[in-house]
Amino acid sequence: MKRVLSIALLTLRAAMRYRLVMLLAVVVLALVVLVPLIIRDDGTARGFTQILLTYTLGVTTALLGLATLWLATGTLARDVEECQMQMVVVKPIARWQIWVGKWMGIMILNLILLGVAGGAIFGVLQWRASKLPPEQQAILRNEVLVARGSLKEPTPPWREIVEKVLEQQAQNPQFSTLDQRLFRQQIEEQVKARFQLVPPGYGRRWEIPLGIAKNRVKDKPLFLRVKFMAAGVTPVELEFNPRSYLATWQVGVPESPKTWRDQMTLAAGAFHEFAVPPNLFSDQGVLNIEFQNQNEETLLFDLTDGMEVLYREGGFTLNFVRGLGIIACWLALLAALGLAAGSFLSFPVASFVSLAALIVGLSSGTLAQVIEEGGISGVDHDTGQITHPLWIDQMVVFLFSCLLKIINLVQGFSPIDLLSTGRSVTWEQLGLALLQIVVLMGGLFAIIGITLFTRRELATAQGSA
Amino acid sequence: MTPENITSNREVVVAVRGLTKVFKDFWGRPKARAVDKVDFDVHRGEVFGLLGPNGSGKSTTVKMILGLLYPTRGHIQVFGHSPRHVATKARIGYLPEESYLYRFLDSSETLDFFGSLFELPGQERQKRAAQLLDMVGLNQVQHRTVGEFSKGMQRRIGLAQALINDPDLIILDEPTSGLDPIGCREVKDLIIALARRGKTVILSSHLLADVEDVCDRVVIYYGGHIQAMGALQDLLATPDAIRMTMPILKRETLDQVLKTIRAEVAEDRIKIDTPSQNLESYFLGVVQKARQSEMETSGATSGHQVAAYLRGDANALSQADKILDRLTLPTPAREEPMVRAPQVQSATDLAKLESLTRRTEPAPGPPPPPPTAPPTPTLSAQDLAKANEKLAGLLGSTDKPKS
Repeated sequence: MKRVLSIALLTLRAAMRYRLVMLLAVVVLALVVLVPLIIRDDGTARGFTQILLTYTLGVTTALLGLATLWLATGTLARDVEECQMQMVVVKPIARWQIWVGKWMGIMILNLILLGVAGGAIFGVLQWRASKLPPEQQAILRNEVLVARGSLKEPTPPWREIVEKVLEQQAQNPQFSTLDQRLFRQQIEEQVKARFQLVPPGYGRRWEIPLGIAKNRVKDKPLFLRVKFMAAGVTPVELEFNPRSYLATWQVGVPESPKTWRDQMTLAAGAFHEFAVPPNLFSDQGVLNIEFQNQNEETLLFDLTDGMEVLYREGGFTLNFVRGLGIIACWLALLAALGLAAGSFLSFPVASFVSLAALIVGLSSGTLAQVIEEGGISGVDHDTGQITHPLWIDQMVVFLFSCLLKIINLVQGFSPIDLLSTGRSVTWEQLGLALLQIVVLMGGLFAIIGITLFTRRELATAQGSA
Repeated sequence: MTPENITSNREVVVAVRGLTKVFKDFWGRPKARAVDKVDFDVHRGEVFGLLGPNGSGKSTTVKMILGLLYPTRGHIQVFGHSPRHVATKARIGYLPEESYLYRFLDSSETLDFFGSLFELPGQERQKRAAQLLDMVGLNQVQHRTVGEFSKGMQRRIGLAQALINDPDLIILDEPTSGLDPIGCREVKDLIIALARRGKTVILSSHLLADVEDVCDRVVIYYGGHIQAMGALQDLLATPDAIRMTMPILKRETLDQVLKTIRAEVAEDRIKIDTPSQNLESYFLGVVQKARQSEMETSGATSGHQVAAYLRGDANALSQADKILDRLTLPTPAREEPMVRAPQVQSATDLAKLESLTRRTEPAPGPPPPPPTAPPTPTLSAQDLAKANEKLAGLLGSTDKPKS
């Protein structure tokens, strides 16, 4: 362990001596100060704080991520190229210890910088909050600078319904003549519409079981976070031509005094949050929420994020630290990726390869789209699908599906989004992030990197020091 | 008993058998056969030289012994283990052909870092670093980063790091490259002192004088093959000739001696000349004289004394211990090398004989050779402390050695 620490401290010292730490710290601090001056918000303290958190944490993550990748590839690849590594490996230290020591050094550096950036962001947030009027401060502390638990309606069994419908249709003699994939897609859309669409004059009810949170939310206000779309209006159309609709809400036990009603005008395509009084749930711990559509257009509540109930779980400080913890997990993975590339490639090539891997990792949307379209050949514009997939399409879909599964192990966490919406980053999420991102994915890169580094002949490089 | 016999009875530190290294290109096609079917053993306590021109395979062999390159065929054992055995590396010190040190560290930090890789306790690291910096003459610049050092200073700190663990096997690749003559002499004396303590030294060099001054046995490489191998004195000895060195004789006496010799040996086989010192010893004499007049210099100073822990901490030994220690030291595999006079090209001529036998006043100019005028590859062979004192004297140290 002492040897590993020696390598870690050497890595840290190199970054310090080459003034990388100082430069990064100054840039991060400058961004934290500058970003609030240039961002555009919705004019509310809540909106501003949410955007501030999103941008500053996003920029910090991006900056530290790139610096980590550069540092990780350089610290190993350049040591090998400039032959300093020869001086180290002839000492009684195993190569895996050198590799882990380098990783540890980079992570110590990251934790210092993340601490500096996080401290600055936290300080700016608290300072700005303290300048607001008391009622604005209360809103902020209830809705953003807080750790809130989230409850949602159990996912309706729409997939099972789709399968049943398809089974029934299979007995129809005309079924075999239909385009199976197109037919399935249409059935899925129809079934999902039954759960999502609220036609004019109709209502929608959500029954949300509180479960173990029942005791925790007692005597505390709940927050409904809703988002709906106007059916037939695309998000792009809404952006250029915003529309508002009347929303009538009833929350509580039907036909009892434990009911709260309100009517409000809400814009489509945006998230809205409003508080409802405490203790409106039934004795069984189920919260009933009803929406009445008194407009002339059909509205659509998405199954994933149409309705969410939020309740206070804890304070912002610890939540913020946990959020930073997940970001640190991402940085740990990037350090492992860079070191793995630097273990067998020259510095420029290792930088290129690891950066390319990062870009692929960030392209999960494109990968998902290719999988959804069924390949990379020309798409039928009417159906949005590839009509006659080739073998290459099948291969690409298989490859991308595997890649996406791996990427989702890492990207399945969204600490910045959770923090900016005042939702809890739980210990479970942090533990899972540690397990999936650092242990599983980072460990995979570590095994690859250490194996290649151990097998590598280190004296073939001609020193350029 | 010949040196070969002596070494064959000692512990084998490095065993090389059928060693072959073929460098390949990106596609795995053979590009160069750097080392080809090489066999040799290096024994405990000997100074073993790898000699050969550039590109002959010396450094490749060294790097395979260190586990930095992997053999294509054959095998190597260092202290009975593979060169990649991590624990064995605790017994090895290595000075590479170039300075491969971290440029952002200063001298103290460099030694502290490498010391920490041997898990030396903090205090011990500091003590050894101070002694080593003193030994290599860098104690006054210990807080300058290595990147600012001259090549010679980088060699010195490189040598210091190679000795931080008091290694049993020291591998030196071109150790005098970039050093001034004083530094070269110091390094050579240090090698001899280390060998005297039972350390094994492998020296790779293309500088013949270095090898000749310190090595017990050598292998001579060319084209990746061993061309010659053996004890240095066996390789260099001329068995059918003798040389006598004596003070200047009277003309009549010399004529008489020559007459006797000519009766048995043909005229063209007799060579007479004045023995002269080599340039190194002359240079060291000049520097010593300059030091005595306390002229100042900048940069690295010459080293003072061999670090105490490398001397086996002779200061702490009683006289009886020293004798015991001396008795248990490994017997050097070499005899005191003879001073080799430059080769005389012409046969005896009378005019030269005349000039040689004429008594003249000592000419001004070159100072007398220092008391340890090389080539004297061993220290006085009495004890290590005495050797150290001699070394300090040679280098003009004002500090009195402690022993």
